Amino acid sequence: MIAQTRAELLKVRSTRTTIGLMLGMVALILLFTLLTGLLTHADALTTRENQRQLLSLSNLAGVFSALAGVLLVTSEYRYGTIRPTILFNPARSKVVAAKVTAGALAGIAFGVLGEAIGWAIGYAILSGRGITVVLDSGDVLLLVLGGLSGVALWGAIGAGLGAIIRNQVGAVITLLAWGFVVDNLLFGLVPSLGRFTPTRALDALVGLTTQHLLSPGAGAIILIAWTAALAAIGLALTTRRDID
Amino acid sequence: MTPVVVAKSLTKRFGDLLAVDDLSFSLQPGTVTGFLGPNGAGKTTTLRMLLGLATPTSGQARIFDKPYAEIERPALRIGAVLEATDFHPGRSGRDHLRMLGQAVGVPDSRADEVLGLVELTDAAHRRVKGYSLGMRQRLGLAAALLGDPELLILDEPANGLDPEGVRWLRDFLRTLAAEGHTVLISSHVLAEVAQTVDQVLIISRGRLVAESSLAELTARVGGSVRVRVADPSRLAAALHEQDLQVTAGADQALLVPGASSERVGEIAFAAGVPIHELVADGGSLEEIFLELTTEAQT
Repeated sequence: MIAQTRAELLKVRSTRTTIGLMLGMVALILLFTLLTGLLTHADALTTRENQRQLLSLSNLAGVFSALAGVLLVTSEYRYGTIRPTILFNPARSKVVAAKVTAGALAGIAFGVLGEAIGWAIGYAILSGRGITVVLDSGDVLLLVLGGLSGVALWGAIGAGLGAIIRNQVGAVITLLAWGFVVDNLLFGLVPSLGRFTPTRALDALVGLTTQHLLSPGAGAIILIAWTAALAAIGLALTTRRDID
Repeated sequence: MTPVVVAKSLTKRFGDLLAVDDLSFSLQPGTVTGFLGPNGAGKTTTLRMLLGLATPTSGQARIFDKPYAEIERPALRIGAVLEATDFHPGRSGRDHLRMLGQAVGVPDSRADEVLGLVELTDAAHRRVKGYSLGMRQRLGLAAALLGDPELLILDEPANGLDPEGVRWLRDFLRTLAAEGHTVLISSHVLAEVAQTVDQVLIISRGRLVAESSLAELTARVGGSVRVRVADPSRLAAALHEQDLQVTAGADQALLVPGASSERVGEIAFAAGVPIHELVADGGSLEEIFLELTTEAQT
């Protein structure tokens, strides 16, 4: 399992896809943080919640770590490397578990980079505009550690999703539609249900206090539950289905 | 000896299609077997079941007396190549081998070793995107050899290779066979493997239609050799001595059924009979292969 996880991490590192995703992530976090930080009225940015919102934009890293997780599994089916992978390790459940683990570990790398960029830019904007940061150390800890673990879990969620939807295009579209559309719609229309979606669970985990969101602890539990559920379904399906 | 590979009533059904139908065979250690049949005969499906990638609808596939999936670190005993194209185009050949090797604890130095074996050292750090089909086939072989396995299972390894590549592959497989490896090679062209294998399994429409040594198969070739010499009776006597049947043909020629032109030529030479004409009439391995596989379809 440890050897397989090492092999999976080598897969992540040995193509340019990961670098591409990281560059995309940096660009998107930069753009959103700059736009929000510069276009929001200075008065609005003095509140604790709005400062949290600005600094939590780095959680966009979760989309990219999830994409990396999806690609870690679906690339193998797309290019057929799943055949040698399973021939070398026929314990398919271990291969899926290793991929989910590698997805989370790669997610940490995405999280660290994303948080660093988001915080650097966010802080620069606030101080540049002469706005006092009113967050206490608890807020900062939640934002950083919650964001980091949330982005890591999203990496694992991506790998689980990829094991369920093996078609690469299908899995990527599902992920983007889910993260950007479905969760938002559900939260907007039926917040009592929408707050249990993984994107809103991540918002809760970093301490955002938007109405209807769960507490940070509950957010963490829900996010872990999503990860475990997707991994379990992906594992069961991979064990059952033939490999073409 | 205990067989290395055993298929017992192996059957795979995809909906209405019976891809593999009650297939049974076994492979002895140290043999090189050609697994032959037209495209779509069920060869790849059979290999996928042997290798645990597909679950048989019924029947059993065992390697080293176990289902593949239950073999501990199987890559150290079995090397297999199913598709020549199973690579991420953006990953280097060396990294492809490293990522497979790391999963079973094979050191990176072994990746360099097998790259040398298949003559890809110079391309090791290039991305597979830039490899020719022949190079990809060889990289696939390198992956199969990573764990220094005693059994090799190769699905259509000569597919798409140029004549030089086919010759390289043939020499390579002969070397492996000489080292005592057990090899199973599938192909839809008998000629591709005829010079490499000791025995053949021929399947058509998922069923085994022939299982024999290559020598037996050659003997079944229906053609005959027509030989014209100055002294037919002396040659006929020499051929009879070698247990060959001889019949008289037109133009004072002799017909020798079931013999090769090489053999008849050698016998004539040994008997000191000058040959005026020596022709192999009809019948080739390819023809008998076609005959066997089309019989099953009607």
